[in-house]
Amino acid sequence: MDIFSDLLLGASTAFQPVNLFYGFIGCLLGTAIGVLPGLGPTATIAMLLPITFGLRPESALIMLAGIFYGAQYGGSTTAILINLPGESSSVVTAIDGYQMARNGRAGAALATAALGSFFAGTVATLLLAVAAPPLAAVALKFGPAEYFSLMVLGLVASVALASGSLLKAFAMIVFGLLLGSVGTDVESGMPRYIFGIPELYDGLNFVAVSMGIFGICEILRNLENEHERSVGVKKVAGLMLTRDDFRRIRGPVLRGTALGSLLGVLPGGGAMLSSFAAYALEKRVSPNRAEFGKGAIEAVAAPESANNAGAQTSFIPMLTLGIPGNPVMALMVGAMIIQGITPGPNVISEKPDLFWGMIVSMWSGNLMLVILNLPLIGLWVRMLTIPYHLLFPAIIGFCCVGAYSINNSVFDVFIMAGFSVVGFVLSKLRFEPAPLLLGFILGPMLEENLRRAMLISQGDPTIFVRSPLSLSLLIVAVIVLGLVLSPSISRKRDEAFTE
Amino acid sequence: MLKIRNGRDFIGGAAMIVVSLLFIWFGRELDVGNSFQMGPGYFPVILSLLLIGIGALIMVQSLVVAVEDEPDAPANWQAYTLVILAPIFFGLALSRFGLAPTIFLMVAAVSFASKYAGWRHSIALALFMAISSVVLFTRLLSLPVSPFGPWIPFLGN
Repeated sequence: MDIFSDLLLGASTAFQPVNLFYGFIGCLLGTAIGVLPGLGPTATIAMLLPITFGLRPESALIMLAGIFYGAQYGGSTTAILINLPGESSSVVTAIDGYQMARNGRAGAALATAALGSFFAGTVATLLLAVAAPPLAAVALKFGPAEYFSLMVLGLVASVALASGSLLKAFAMIVFGLLLGSVGTDVESGMPRYIFGIPELYDGLNFVAVSMGIFGICEILRNLENEHERSVGVKKVAGLMLTRDDFRRIRGPVLRGTALGSLLGVLPGGGAMLSSFAAYALEKRVSPNRAEFGKGAIEAVAAPESANNAGAQTSFIPMLTLGIPGNPVMALMVGAMIIQGITPGPNVISEKPDLFWGMIVSMWSGNLMLVILNLPLIGLWVRMLTIPYHLLFPAIIGFCCVGAYSINNSVFDVFIMAGFSVVGFVLSKLRFEPAPLLLGFILGPMLEENLRRAMLISQGDPTIFVRSPLSLSLLIVAVIVLGLVLSPSISRKRDEAFTE
Repeated sequence: MLKIRNGRDFIGGAAMIVVSLLFIWFGRELDVGNSFQMGPGYFPVILSLLLIGIGALIMVQSLVVAVEDEPDAPANWQAYTLVILAPIFFGLALSRFGLAPTIFLMVAAVSFASKYAGWRHSIALALFMAISSVVLFTRLLSLPVSPFGPWIPFLGN
């Protein structure tokens, strides 16, 4: 199959009016909620996931992808306009973006972010279209041993790329894996850790868990030291970039896109790491280094391109292998499962219209974002002025109804409340929640493949090192682990995250 | 005599050990099986043992390495209680009052977790949330929940 006919097939799905409509609504809602401070892509998707339940699978996934980009992008708007990054990947954008805004160049900064993101999105979409099918073809040859080793590599790599203590990140993964074992045992049908509660037979609902950990828990943290935020609404003018601006952002956008595309594929990577790395790179190579921190347009262009590229390419391992690299992809996996699709290499051959439709919709979604964001910027600025004390009760309200609507049962609302406490305690103890969610979502798959592999080998654990593919995956995992533990690298890692 | 240099990690490591022990305790009747035929208890037990190990390492580290860390924000128990009780109230009240009164009461009450809340704003917000969630969730998304429940005279069914 050649790629153009595939993309054409995708276009015929993505450009159906109904799918364009849901994609648009997704981008709009994603931006609207992502703009609100304290709500990053993970919380936004968790909160909005229930409204896609009634849709057809391709519409639902297109809408979710739109919500994701919208939320991702909304964070940049707040970062630039009020120096309040809505999510971690816009932290570096805030540095120079806000300075630009103070110099009266908010419009230029927003336009740079939008155009850089669009360019990066286009390139990353093409990359996804080219890379996914061959990867999936390789993955189809995977047996349980290879899958197990791949997931181990994924989990190890996600620790390596997490910020903060490695040991604690490992603890969170294992805790997540344990939580994943709640429910009916797949092989024997035995119930595990369900305490006689029928709702637990299917396991803890991951949407409820992530809403608690990422949505409600954040509110608990924000209420600790609440300051009255008075956001001065200024008119954003001057969205047009000058010829000089274009000349200055060309290089950073290209470098940011390349770096982001690469880092997005890594487990645990994605948008945040990409934007940090792109900022650091640009600071080294830019001829206008001296201006960094004082409103350099390069320092907005590079991380914004990188985080969008990274966000996009993080779909690659999720779509081809069924392995989510970050919490957002974990939610997408969950959404696919709810829609009756098992993510993995089979999706391309079994549901080509869905797969290619989603890829093409990523491009159209990025285009919509540009159209949505530049003219509607005034609307987003107004949303920013909603004070937090009016915002958080509404968020709690939507989370409650959202959690209820997963299974039309209040049990998931209680789960959400419970995990907001768990998340809060963990954050007090400085444990990161992201590896927990990854472990939680991968746990059942990891266990299933481990058990199958051991059954095939009749209990002989050397099965994991006898297959060359599985062996090389495990060797890479060990190398990654070694690198992270080596003192010189870990020092660099600390620098990278404190920068 | 060992001194705890990082109290937060000491508690954190201990918490991980407690979590693992809970999983082992509650799973004590699950068949562990062997590595050929793994029972439902095999994976959780292995993981629990692993987590005990990691928890112990974190505790040891907390005795050796001192970490400078920004202090916690002062606890705001009133806010915690309100925010955590809100979903629980929602879950208990939904089938009795129906969506509109439940959302109204919950939003109005939980807004007082903020020190900037005022009666007028809270009631306006609660009313807005009640109306918009009824429109969005029962009308547009047709969730199986009625706007008014059996405990509401005349309107409930």
